Amino acid sequence: MNTGESVLEKINVFSVVKNAITEVLPDVDSESVDIEQNLKSLGANSIDRTEIVMLSMEKLDIKLPLVSFGGVENIKEMVDVLVDAFDGNS
Amino acid sequence: MRKESDRGIAIVGMGIVCSIGANTIEFKQSLKSGISGVTRLAVRKGPKLSVDMGAEIKNFSFLDDLYRYSDLPDEILQKARHCARRSSFSIQASVLAALEAWQDSGMFARANDPERLGVIVTGENTTQNYRYGLQASFEADPEYLSPRYALQFLDSHQVGVLSEIFSIKGEGFVVGGASASGNVGLVKAVQLIQSGIVDTCLVSGVVADLSPMELQGFVNVGAMVRENTFETPSEASRPFDAGHAGFIFGQASACVILQSCDMASEQEGVVRAKIRGAALNLDGTRTTAPNAAGEARAMTMALQRGGMSAGDVDYLNAHGSSSPLGDATEVEAIKQVFGDHLSELRINSTKGLTGHCLYSAGVVELIASVLQMEDGFIHPNKNLENPIDSDLRFSGATFEKCRIKFAMSNSFGFGGINSSIVFQNGG
Repeated sequence: MNTGESVLEKINVFSVVKNAITEVLPDVDSESVDIEQNLKSLGANSIDRTEIVMLSMEKLDIKLPLVSFGGVENIKEMVDVLVDAFDGNS
Repeated sequence: MRKESDRGIAIVGMGIVCSIGANTIEFKQSLKSGISGVTRLAVRKGPKLSVDMGAEIKNFSFLDDLYRYSDLPDEILQKARHCARRSSFSIQASVLAALEAWQDSGMFARANDPERLGVIVTGENTTQNYRYGLQASFEADPEYLSPRYALQFLDSHQVGVLSEIFSIKGEGFVVGGASASGNVGLVKAVQLIQSGIVDTCLVSGVVADLSPMELQGFVNVGAMVRENTFETPSEASRPFDAGHAGFIFGQASACVILQSCDMASEQEGVVRAKIRGAALNLDGTRTTAPNAAGEARAMTMALQRGGMSAGDVDYLNAHGSSSPLGDATEVEAIKQVFGDHLSELRINSTKGLTGHCLYSAGVVELIASVLQMEDGFIHPNKNLENPIDSDLRFSGATFEKCRIKFAMSNSFGFGGINSSIVFQNGG
């Protein structure tokens, strides 16, 4: 896989995650979500965060144990975990 | 020494969402006009059922209706939106009814000690249809089940939602009592206030969002009207009529706010009515069979607790579910209790218009009774053409003016659960 494809993939995954965020947190404006932010700062509680992860995985047809997201500090790192799994799937 | 008028527990707020009204004003108009909410059932996914009609809540939109309660502080409306936007229909309906009651009570404009506020949610197994709707995707892929399910399948989630929106930090719990659940909640709220545990208690009757399996179950046990029994849906719920053939499924979320009379006078809000006595008892049976002696015992005990006698009661909102055995048994019980006073007692059953709202029926019918008291009328028994008894004074097919000072409301449930509440006008 070349780097261009990987960047594209990351953008797509981030857009899936943003959709999940606005679905779970309707007050968040998807345009204003920065990939360096963390979900807590957007107002997500622990169930919201789990649901955002699961909705994203469902959209991407990925299954990962939730523990895979244990060390995730911000949206970017969450997207990275999803992209890695997505690569593994394809 | 307390004055006579100080006795009882004040009803300071009321709210409803049902098949014949999205709020208490619409509901009252429908009661006056004798409008039935019974129609063909909305099409459901899944197998064909042996039931084809019910009084469902139609055209429901949580976000559209939320901002109707614009007198409420923005903070409460935002919390309501935040808590319920991604929730089940039954949660959303509860929140809307509670918002109306909260606005009606005027409590939002006063200082309230959160620890002196309680909440009681009436209804058991209220998430069956929510669960049923998730079944297919769950079987396809359990791993994608929303983590929210673990919270939302619990009836007590309603307690959490309402307590968060209205900052309630006293006692809160769920009560179940089958078709008597609403009255069971009212009885417990009265007791909480009387015992001094809380000053104010929100009682929320949960909408019955039955799944296809519960609908079929009620048909199979012989309680609910089977399909093709009536051609015209609005004629199918016929309490106390010789043509009654079982109950018709109804949907309503209904909420009342009860308060000690001391707190009500301190807060100087409008007291819409006062509950004088409330009673709950069991027949000692696990079956569906009603029992006249047990029903009479509940009515008599409610009167005793209210310091009242049968002759005081002007109006009875009967359980009257349109069940042949249930209606006949209640008639027998009413005769036992009211004896010589039958000619002074006016009777109707709101279920003729709303269907049987199951978990919330007791709260719906308390609200219906208070609305009738306030405006001095009794609503029609729309389908009562050939009464099963000629001694009881049932309301007729049209609106009638009627001065009501004291009223009673009955609710009976499977498992030999009998309950009765007596109340007086707010003046």
